[in-house]
Amino acid sequence: MDSTIAVALDGRPRQVAAGTTLALLLANLRYEPCAVATAVNGRFVARSLRERFELHDGDSVLLFQPIAGG
Amino acid sequence: MHREPQVETDGWQVDGVTLRSRLLLGSAGYPSPQTLREAIRASDTQVVTVGLKRTLARAGDNGFVAIVRAALAEQGARLLPNTAGCRSAREAVELAMMARELYETTWVKLEVVGDDYTLQPDPIELVEAARVLVREGFVVWPYCTDDLVTCRRLLDVGCALVMPWGAPIGSAQGLANPLALRTLRARLPDAILIVDAGIGAPSHAARVMEMGFDAVLSNSAVALSGDPVKMAHAFRQAVAAGREGWRAGLIPAQDFAVATTPVGGERVLLGPTDQPADR
Repeated sequence: MDSTIAVALDGRPRQVAAGTTLALLLANLRYEPCAVATAVNGRFVARSLRERFELHDGDSVLLFQPIAGG
Repeated sequence: MHREPQVETDGWQVDGVTLRSRLLLGSAGYPSPQTLREAIRASDTQVVTVGLKRTLARAGDNGFVAIVRAALAEQGARLLPNTAGCRSAREAVELAMMARELYETTWVKLEVVGDDYTLQPDPIELVEAARVLVREGFVVWPYCTDDLVTCRRLLDVGCALVMPWGAPIGSAQGLANPLALRTLRARLPDAILIVDAGIGAPSHAARVMEMGFDAVLSNSAVALSGDPVKMAHAFRQAVAAGREGWRAGLIPAQDFAVATTPVGGERVLLGPTDQPADR
């Protein structure tokens, strides 16, 4: 069994270990949990669900941050 | 006896929150975070809009959001995150949920673009997104056109207010369709109406308030001006003046003259048949 899976992170391909959770991905990217909001395959994933949200091969992960706006 | 403007006590309420200022300020496009902070202070605003974007290449925001948060804490104001860039109800709902988590507020300025040239809101997607978000517990501030029926539908699904455009975003044209705005005010007398977008000058904001609107949102006109801090203060004064003028009651415009000096209907010196003196 392959020990890595391919996901898209903000549209760019990325290999992560099989079984990686969304929380672990953010930790590996050195994001503070409160610094970004997350969506997987176009659906919002709440911060409280990231620990048990396991990523799968082909998943598209988007991270959002606060910015100035009108 | 001269009476000082009473705008300080002329509050309005959204979601049970009483707001004193009737000027909402956008936070985008300022030359520096410090300028933004000073502009927020000069505007005396209590609602500042912010946004979200994808974290491409870990690009930061150069500290703008931190400045907004600090400035708002300083003057007891609130954040109003938007869903800028969304083109469908589904996208807007997902982005609103992210905004709620990131900014820790249920308030959301709902934007769903329907046309790339005018950035005109899509009324169908907007109403659908609003319906879902209200059900999810959001306090929805929808940015919409000045179409009466769309505004009514948005209120019907539970929006706290509506935010019709004055003109397309960033166009600085002022009020492109005053008739439509007057109609909104007349037909929705109990709704909170905030003109958003297209405001290019303090005089535009004053005119909005003179028409009986509840508040004005301005971003580009302040942020992109030669002196954003001074312009923020100018907008503050214009909004207050317009509001006070509306409360005082404007006289109706008409197509004929009415003499203001009560000299009566007679000629002042000459009778109707007299000829002017030949000098």
